[in-house]
Amino acid sequence: MEHYDIIVVGGGVNSLITAAVLGQSGKKVLLVEAQEQVGGLASTTEFAAGYKCNLVNDVVKWVDPRVMKILDLGSYGLELTSPDIVRIALDINGQHILFHRNADQTATSISTHSKQDAKAWKGFTEYINNLTKFLEKLYELTPPKLPDIGLKEALSLRSMLSPVIKQGTRGLVNFMRVAPMMMPELMDEWFESELLRGALSTAGIHHITQGPFSAATGLNLLHQHVYAKGVFHNVHLVKGGTGNLAGALRKSAQSSGVKIRTNAKVKSIDVANYICSGVTLTKGESLATEKVVSGLDPRNTFINLIGAVKLNPRFHTQIRNLKFRGSAARVHFALNSLPEINGVAKHNMGTVFSVAPSISYLEKAYDASKYGQISENPYVEFTLPSVINPGFAPYGKHVLSATVQYAPYHLRGQSWTKGLKDQLKNNVVRVLENYIPNFSTLIEAAVVLSPVDLEEKLGLTEGNLNHGEMTLDQFFFMRPTMSSAQYKSPIENLYLCGPGTHPGGGLHGTNGFNAAHEILKRQRR
Amino acid sequence: MSYGNQFTAHTQLRLSPFFERTSKLNESQEWRRWGGYLSATKYDLVHDNEYFAIRTKAALLDITPLQKYILEGPEAQHCLDRLVTRNIGICKVGQVMYTPWCDEAGKQIDDGTVQRLGDQKFRITSAEPNLEWILQNASGMDVNVVDDSETTAALALQGPNSRAILNTIDSDSLDSLKFFWMMEARLNDIPVAISRTGYTGDLGYEIWMDPKDALAVWDLLMEKGKPYGITPTGLHALDMVRIEAGLILLDVDYVSARHAIIESRKSSPYELGLGWTVKMKKKDFIGKKALELEQARGPEWEFVGIEIEWNELEDHFRKVGLPPGLPSLAWRISTPIYKNNEQVGYATSGTWSPILKRYIALAHVKSEYAGLGTQLDFELKVEHFRKLTPIKVVESPFFNPERKRSCPL
Amino acid sequence: MSAIKSYDAIVIGGGHNGLTTAAYLARAGKKVLVLERRYVLGGAAVTEEVFPGFKFSVCSYVVSLLKPTIIRELMLPKFGLELLPLESTFTPLDHDYLLRTSDHDQTRREIYRHSPKDAEAYDRFGPLMGQIGMAVRPILETIAPNVIRPSLSDLSATKRLFDHFKALNDEQFEYLTKLMTMSSADFLDEWFEFEPLKATMSASGIIGTFMGPRSPGSAYIMLHHYVGDIDGAFRAWGFQRGGTGAVSMAIARSAKHFGAEIITEAPVEKVIVENGRAVGVALVNGDEYKAEKVISGLDPKLSFLKMVDESDLPSDFVTDIKNFRIRGSSGKVNLALDRLPNFTSLPGDGPHLRGAISISPSYDHLEKAYDDAKYGNFSQEPYIDIILPSVLDPEMAPPGKHIMSCFVQYAPYDIKGGWDDQKREAFGDAVVNTIARFAPNIKDIILHRQVLTPADLESTFGLTEGNIFHGELTLQQLFVMRPAVKWANYKTPITNYYQCGSGTHPGGGITGSPGEMAAKKILRDW
Ligand SMILES: Cc1cc2nc3c(=O)[nH]c(=O)nc-3n(C[C@H](O)[C@H](O)[C@H](O)COP(=O)(O)OP(=O)(O)OC[C@H]3O[C@@H](n4cnc5c(N)ncnc54)[C@H](O)[C@@H]3O)c2cc1C
Repeated sequence: MEHYDIIVVGGGVNSLITAAVLGQSGKKVLLVEAQEQVGGLASTTEFAAGYKCNLVNDVVKWVDPRVMKILDLGSYGLELTSPDIVRIALDINGQHILFHRNADQTATSISTHSKQDAKAWKGFTEYINNLTKFLEKLYELTPPKLPDIGLKEALSLRSMLSPVIKQGTRGLVNFMRVAPMMMPELMDEWFESELLRGALSTAGIHHITQGPFSAATGLNLLHQHVYAKGVFHNVHLVKGGTGNLAGALRKSAQSSGVKIRTNAKVKSIDVANYICSGVTLTKGESLATEKVVSGLDPRNTFINLIGAVKLNPRFHTQIRNLKFRGSAARVHFALNSLPEINGVAKHNMGTVFSVAPSISYLEKAYDASKYGQISENPYVEFTLPSVINPGFAPYGKHVLSATVQYAPYHLRGQSWTKGLKDQLKNNVVRVLENYIPNFSTLIEAAVVLSPVDLEEKLGLTEGNLNHGEMTLDQFFFMRPTMSSAQYKSPIENLYLCGPGTHPGGGLHGTNGFNAAHEILKRQRR
Repeated sequence: MSYGNQFTAHTQLRLSPFFERTSKLNESQEWRRWGGYLSATKYDLVHDNEYFAIRTKAALLDITPLQKYILEGPEAQHCLDRLVTRNIGICKVGQVMYTPWCDEAGKQIDDGTVQRLGDQKFRITSAEPNLEWILQNASGMDVNVVDDSETTAALALQGPNSRAILNTIDSDSLDSLKFFWMMEARLNDIPVAISRTGYTGDLGYEIWMDPKDALAVWDLLMEKGKPYGITPTGLHALDMVRIEAGLILLDVDYVSARHAIIESRKSSPYELGLGWTVKMKKKDFIGKKALELEQARGPEWEFVGIEIEWNELEDHFRKVGLPPGLPSLAWRISTPIYKNNEQVGYATSGTWSPILKRYIALAHVKSEYAGLGTQLDFELKVEHFRKLTPIKVVESPFFNPERKRSCPL
Repeated sequence: MSAIKSYDAIVIGGGHNGLTTAAYLARAGKKVLVLERRYVLGGAAVTEEVFPGFKFSVCSYVVSLLKPTIIRELMLPKFGLELLPLESTFTPLDHDYLLRTSDHDQTRREIYRHSPKDAEAYDRFGPLMGQIGMAVRPILETIAPNVIRPSLSDLSATKRLFDHFKALNDEQFEYLTKLMTMSSADFLDEWFEFEPLKATMSASGIIGTFMGPRSPGSAYIMLHHYVGDIDGAFRAWGFQRGGTGAVSMAIARSAKHFGAEIITEAPVEKVIVENGRAVGVALVNGDEYKAEKVISGLDPKLSFLKMVDESDLPSDFVTDIKNFRIRGSSGKVNLALDRLPNFTSLPGDGPHLRGAISISPSYDHLEKAYDDAKYGNFSQEPYIDIILPSVLDPEMAPPGKHIMSCFVQYAPYDIKGGWDDQKREAFGDAVVNTIARFAPNIKDIILHRQVLTPADLESTFGLTEGNIFHGELTLQQLFVMRPAVKWANYKTPITNYYQCGSGTHPGGGITGSPGEMAAKKILRDW
């Protein structure tokens, strides 16, 4: 049997990046993926005959520029386009707010709701842009191990100084002020229009468990805007579907000699005496190796694949206490024709739409989840991937993919049955019909992915898309735990590279990139 | 007796199923809290009689306040093996093992006995509640953990006559029951389990029963034990004999690693004289890694028996015109130990041993001063003034009679 | 106009912090004047005979956070400080209850009854919180450095704090970080399973706060309430004999003892600012007093947006103060009772009436109360923290009668349509009805009722928006950011104008800390 230096578990974006970077450095790397194809959250699949969808992410918020460069993704077929209109916040009266790449144009659109807000807009985007600079630097770092931080660790943080030098301590203070904020606090400082406040707050709750009234939604809002260069709600579209991002990564990895095995589900990561020696597949095959890198979430990695018994009690407690609580569902609709959205021109439909008339609307949607219920009037964010990529649906037909919050993994007095999924779908249809009057008549088929489905299908603990909640207590040197935030786990020869590590979820690949560098750095020592 | 004063009272503390009897027998009405229970410190107005009962006759103690847990299931043994330092794999059905357990840093959490009740069934006893810790570490294992603290009542029958008393009642003879083994028995048809264990360092047994049988068993033992001098005994006497036996007490001689809020309060088994219980050959257990390191470099502290030298002690008191002041009870106040005027340790409990006629104590000392025979100084208060008086590291247990382990044949 | 009198320092507001500052300055030999708007001293720490024979701690009702150094340095016991311990925390449930007392065995047995695991965790939780409390104390006791332009002493203070945190062990550091960032519910879920226990503990994370127990950030408020200290016993809340006003009076007597002058019914209209320097104050009645230093014990909104003109302040500072969050969310209901309430789950008199009674049967109860407030209503079934001061101190009520103090979450300041008499009474009814669910006789024994909404707290006590802490205790409003960055060290952009109220570091509660640290800073600058 062939021997590998390193085995990467899981075939998501981050795993692929880790594998590729390690492959480039001359390591013999094997990547094992349970599904038929790599991609994980970045997969594109057929969900109804002739209809394709991006399983989870229709758009990419940002990709770590270091990844783009070093893995040369362009030449492996990755084409990212950046639409001029990045988002349309739907208004019940058709006075939608169009978020353009150009701030002035956005301001014009905002002015139909509030002149004052329109005036404040540019300042706001600059303000946010400045704050994201701190995250950009922070994200490139391996978090220090606190509290026993030595001079060396302190020095490794010095890159954080550059935005401070540029913006003064005041900038840093602003960052420290905004990150722990809740959406209404931030919005109160800038805007009055209900629709605008709601539309902006969606960035704070994107893919997370909490509602906009929760502290530190400010951090999530900033997280969505890293490398956005001041474009609020910035998105990039992957030509051919999000799956092509994974495709390009796969090709890049393979060209660096990485061996990829799909349909190879890992049954256990083999650990004895706190030392990892390899993995065993469900088919019974055991693969010994020097290092294992897990791209799965920490609960999966440590509890399911290693086993609580093999962990130190304290680490076990830390892992057990990690918060997942997935709260987003996906609904894919196969449509018999292009839907007509009130007040939206056909040529503007290749973007992201949001239904978030106010902050309280979003918060009320969240309230339900606190009591273990799905939102009666959920926050719905949707795209028409078939408009963006014509190959997604048969000619003349279309796909509408919606992300729905809140749909809690932990329900009370009910479970994720087909009935509940239908109810969720109906809620979405009802909400969308406010904007697409005949929507229900267009539907040929629909698929609902509840957090439980996401858990089963993608191995996401509790269906959390970020491999762990994105809250301040699971941020930076606390992600996933204080004892394992350096991409290295307390188990020797076992590393982590998934979104459960710093800096969290998204298709940016920073986790994978940082992890690979940390592994190589440790090797050189 | 002529002063048979009667009174009734009310308490918020727990009462053991034997309380109905013990409360009536407790002439001193001196109680102490033990695990939230009202527990007799002594029954007589003075405790001497109870002490001598343990060493010369038979003493009956209510030990119900011990924490008890039942672990049952295919992985019960595995679970315990991971939890404790001793090798439970070699513990046979009917055998009992004394063992400490540690946190992952190798610091001791508690100590107690593990009884193997069946192939897949164990009872573990402990000084403090440990349910949370056991449950946490049983997670992912096929084992069921039940708090047995209130579902099993227990008595200790200790002392040279204890076997004879049980032999008069029990259908089977206890003659062949070996030290740290147990057996099922019937006392007048009441099913109980009897283990040859105890906290006195003497011949003795512990009897485990359903609380509903508690009073019947008590009465039976008291009745049949009468000719053998059976004496209800409280915690004062127990504290003296357990020191003579060199047995440690949680929260007196050491602090649980789960509750010590600072590092320096924690101790490893090596530092508590329990190195012999740490089985490095065992595959894995919580704290093994840290203990391996500690074993390799040698522990910083050791736990030793000390004896306060008599002549100098007497001199100190003679100088102020007093006979030697000896503690009438076991004490639990941490007392400094010096070498050349530098503190190198502290004694955590001590007692005058009426049997041995020696003033003895248990002490933590820095390892370099732990060798047998090492001369050190002990802080002593003589008429309000602090003095140093010489002590010597001696062998412990101080009292270790042949009968503790032997079987009549 | 009367001749202008001149002082070394004038303190605006006779709240307990203003009084503390005054006492410290007087103790250092300064000539000090305190000007209080109301007829009584104490601000939110005040006792008033609201109904004949019934004395109430009208606002704050329990004391634990009062800093021991202040008690010693100002010799408060000599001037009447007498803190009686609260014996228990009682959580009535519909068919059961949870009663925690100061006795370890009793509490353990009671918790064990509900959850054996929790009984053990509880034993570890208290000491841990004690450790964390100790760990944060150095921050609370450090004058917040100016991070924009740090002075030498700011740098050394920062270094000291840095070293302090480095010295924490992993576990302490981890829990500290968690407490700074998590929701109290999430934090407690890591420890406990019995919901009434968790809900009651989490409730200290919502007191005075516009957050629910599931809102991230509430764990910090919980910690804030844990740093209390009576006689070194941790989380020991106490009741001041004679009500919390007696705490303020003790401080006032101490201040007077050291030579301070105090005038009541003397509302200040404006701080007199000349060339960017404060030189005195003008009263509403036109009187003027001169002083070398002027110190405001009011909240930041009043101190900067009312007492001085915006034009005297840098514009980014004005923005910061305008952005300072000060939403009120609490109300208070004071009841005069004919006899003691009778709880269905634990009838009769007993230790459960001698402590705190917490209406917090579940997280949901608290969250639903919060939901109401989020959308602009008072809670239909609020969280209520009750004490019966007359049980501990019979002089608070006529013989045989009792008073009941009910602190209530939530009553938003910005209630839909604004507060009016009708809403106030409806709010009072909601509180009484909620109590009646657990103690049905309450309705029959009420002799008088005083209901205070956030609007009342604002108009009567001068608390902007009725916020009990002079500003929310959110992460971004703590330490170097309280009330605004650069000006968290009790100084203000106006030379010789200082601040000493709860809107400064380390925040609200009857702590005296802001007052003491402000005084120390002022004396250092002098
Ligand atoms: C209902 C309620 C319950 C509370 N419960 C507790 C509790 O149980 N335990 C606890 O520790 N804390 C509690 N608190 C919080 C605590 O009472 C406050 O944080 C603290 O008392 C504030 O003290 P201070 O001196 O900073 O300000 P304040 O007490 O607000 O003092 C400010 C003073 O300035 C005066 N003033 C205002 N304007 C002027 C002017 N123009 N001129 C002159 N004077 C003026 C006011 O009348 C007042 O006396 C509670 C608060 C409230 C409102």
